[in-house]
Amino acid sequence: MKAVSVKNASMHFGDFTAVQDVSFDVGEGEFITLLGPSGCGKTTLLKMISGFLQPSSGIIEIGGKDVTHVPPERRDTAMCFQSYALFPHLSVADNLQFGLKQKRLLTAERKQRLQDVATKLDLTAQLDKLPNQLSGGQQQRVALGRALTMRPSVVLFDEPLSNLDAKLRDSVRMEIRKIQRDYNLAAIYVTHDQGEALAMSDRILIMNNGRIEQAGTPHEIYGTPNTSFVADFIGDANILDAEVIGEEGAGRWRLGTQIGELIAASAAPPVAKTLKVCWRPEKAQFGPGTENTITADITHRAFQGNYTDLFVMIASAPQRVQWRDNAVGLADSLTMHIRPEDIIFLEAIA
Amino acid sequence: MTRLNLNKILLWALFGLCVIWLVIPFTIAILWSLVDPSQPWTPDHLLPPSMSFYRWGYLWAHSSLKIAMFNSYMLAPSVAIVTLTLAMPTAYALGRINFPGKEVVKLLVLLPLVVPGFVTAIFFTAILFQLGLNAWRFGAILFAHSILFLPYAIRIMSVSFETVRQDHIDAARDLGASTFERWKVAYIPALKPGIMATLLIVFIYSIEEFAIAFIVGSPNFTTIPTLLFTNLGANFIRPNAAVISLILVVPNVILMLFLERLLRSANPALSSGKG
Amino acid sequence: MTWRSWLKLGLLLAPGLGLILVFIGSVVYIAIAQSFGLFSLSGESEFSLEYWSRMFERLTYNRAIGYSLYVGFASAFLAVLFAYPLAVWLRRPFPGSLTISAVLKAPLLVHGLVAAFLYVNIISYHGLVNQIMQGLGIWDGPHRLQNDSRAIGVLILQTWKNMPFALLLLVGSVSAISDDVLDAAADLGAGPFARFRRVIAPLSVSATQAALVIVFVGALADFSFQVIAGPVNKQSLSQLMVFFKGYGRWHDAAVVAVTLMGLGIAGSALLALVSRFILRGGRLS
Ligand SMILES: Nc1ncnc2c1ncn2[C@@H]1O[C@H](COP(=O)(O)OP(=O)(O)O)[C@@H](O)[C@H]1O
Ligand SMILES: [Mg+2]
Repeated sequence: MKAVSVKNASMHFGDFTAVQDVSFDVGEGEFITLLGPSGCGKTTLLKMISGFLQPSSGIIEIGGKDVTHVPPERRDTAMCFQSYALFPHLSVADNLQFGLKQKRLLTAERKQRLQDVATKLDLTAQLDKLPNQLSGGQQQRVALGRALTMRPSVVLFDEPLSNLDAKLRDSVRMEIRKIQRDYNLAAIYVTHDQGEALAMSDRILIMNNGRIEQAGTPHEIYGTPNTSFVADFIGDANILDAEVIGEEGAGRWRLGTQIGELIAASAAPPVAKTLKVCWRPEKAQFGPGTENTITADITHRAFQGNYTDLFVMIASAPQRVQWRDNAVGLADSLTMHIRPEDIIFLEAIA
Repeated sequence: MTRLNLNKILLWALFGLCVIWLVIPFTIAILWSLVDPSQPWTPDHLLPPSMSFYRWGYLWAHSSLKIAMFNSYMLAPSVAIVTLTLAMPTAYALGRINFPGKEVVKLLVLLPLVVPGFVTAIFFTAILFQLGLNAWRFGAILFAHSILFLPYAIRIMSVSFETVRQDHIDAARDLGASTFERWKVAYIPALKPGIMATLLIVFIYSIEEFAIAFIVGSPNFTTIPTLLFTNLGANFIRPNAAVISLILVVPNVILMLFLERLLRSANPALSSGKG
Repeated sequence: MTWRSWLKLGLLLAPGLGLILVFIGSVVYIAIAQSFGLFSLSGESEFSLEYWSRMFERLTYNRAIGYSLYVGFASAFLAVLFAYPLAVWLRRPFPGSLTISAVLKAPLLVHGLVAAFLYVNIISYHGLVNQIMQGLGIWDGPHRLQNDSRAIGVLILQTWKNMPFALLLLVGSVSAISDDVLDAAADLGAGPFARFRRVIAPLSVSATQAALVIVFVGALADFSFQVIAGPVNKQSLSQLMVFFKGYGRWHDAAVVAVTLMGLGIAGSALLALVSRFILRGGRLS
């Protein structure tokens, strides 16, 4: 059974379409990330799932039941807010138990769950404090704990780490993932941080302008982006306009691009005769190869510690190269090659 | 039911309430003020059978309305100016000087609003009697009003003083401006909306004030509210009361709307004062 | 701070705060002193408890206390009762909400005496209410509604005049509660009423207290509404005080004045405590 199914959901605010025809499923115990730039409709989609917004059209199912018209207080979801949204007048313990009291659980059961969550999140010493007496990281954990005590079918996270500093973010990230696994919860996690998405998710949905551009495991998304938007949004990519000149045997094509003729190898054929293609800067191979050998003029170099960023000009097209070997020296140009399987087909050029 | 529909229903309910709340009462008052004495407005008529401005003219010519209006409209601007003048130094201290006990001062300033109006009025009269000043009605009311409305003036002006920008003052000093010049370029422009608002609010409150004017002024010094009060009590003639009510309320409502706008432009935080 | 800056501060505060303290201070002082027989304007001044003890035996005085407290508490309660749902409704702007709050706030601009007059017009013997009730066939003949003995007229007027004020205070504090916090409550299973009881009410305690106290103090000391629309067989404390003053019985007026102020303070404290207790769901801390 699916924990959550979203079927053809759309959301219009007047003339503006914030979410358009989105469909996806979340399996039990699955951790899904909604990733996309600010304003692309992530929060709107999350609010449709939690019930704060009624979809203009489409269906939301939770645990196999249609909940499209069920108000948030009767949906089996728990949300972890970006602002934490802790109740300022209630102690940490009362914040954690708020939902349980609404459910009218027995006192013993309630105390049991409170202890359980407080121990897991290391909040036992803070139970009597008010939220404004806690540090940012602790508040974050209370917000998480408050959602977890509900043992919901699905936990929803709206950029829960954006108010924490970078160090803390890494550790809380792992903590969230660990607890989600322990409880075997389905989770939908919203972020605009691609690193976070790649590191945490079972599956990533990339959103752009209210639509899902691509869905897949982190490896799939990074390795075979479908569009230049996805290629550019996740990691760095050199994107080129290409024309398919001819087929070179099984799964190999000859392309004409700004940087010269290239051979590309792909399981899936190109979607059109003229299309976008890309290659990742770190895939450049040093020295000449059997195919796709290129000479590049180096215009600028930026030392990054474990690698060097090279900004190069190939036949008057600016490209980026990542060089693992820091000993590029001060040469003005370099010879390199790109393996055919590292050239990825993207969307057609209209 | 969606929130949108609910709002629509509530909106209509409120529209109805608004009619009951404001439109009907005022329409009736206006109609009463227009009743011509030749034919009384009996309950079998929806509208007065004969309407004219007779009452307005009559009251103007044959009652103390003229005197009451003169008194009120002399008193109010004087009170406004005196109150503003008295409020300025304290407002400056509250707005621009940091001193221990500032919060206490801010609370103490509110005292005139806490003591019931009629207590103030009656025992102020007692003091006047003790001092032998009980014949000095205009001055006494002016004095009492000025102090009574100080809390509003101090509150508005101290916020205004807070909004004067220190870098403007410093820039003026840096460029060699004298004290007077400094006030002209840095203080006055920032204080202007506050000053206008203070004058206006005190003016309105003074026109409306009843307890002091009634107790200190009785029996022979009338203002518009005291005149209305006598016309609502012992010599109640509905059309006359209607005329005086409208004379009291209409100019003030217009001034209030003006004030609201002024306060909003001067300081958004203040516009929640009155109106 | 140096003594010079203290001196400067003193001089600055003198015309504003200084005058207020002297004026209100002497008014309150005279009231208290006169209630004990001092500062007599006619006969001899000497300290005595007689005015108090005789006043306590007067039926009019004791009934005025009960009546004024009733008007004060009932008005405060009604004003806040009507203002609360409106404040929750107007928490966030929506199309038309500005107009609505303008209409609701309009009574603030209408003078109390005028309000009383408008009300009296509507409920008069041949007024609108009587006409409508007869027109609908509910009443056979006109009823006398003015100066009703249960002071319903006074309460209607007090509520009409004070509700906008309570609304102003409550909207301010209710709209300061963030949407996320209310959404979080809903998400954790709290329905509309639970959200009000567990989140909105406890977070707007101080505004509610302020509204209750201010409306109470004003209504407790009511004079004009009582004189024009109140029951003829009952007197409010202010009315009683003005009555004594009118006959030159300053000491008796002073006793009533001190009673009024004392009840104002005691009643306010009581209201503040009780409202806090209730809104916090039965806890004081
Ligand atoms: N209640 C609303 N009314 C109108 N437009 C809205 C509303 N809520 C969100 N939007 C718009 O929808 C778009 C998506 O918003 P949101 O889902 O918050 O984006 P994000 O991906 O940053 O979370 C934005 O352009 C936003 O301005
Ligand atoms: Mg968002």
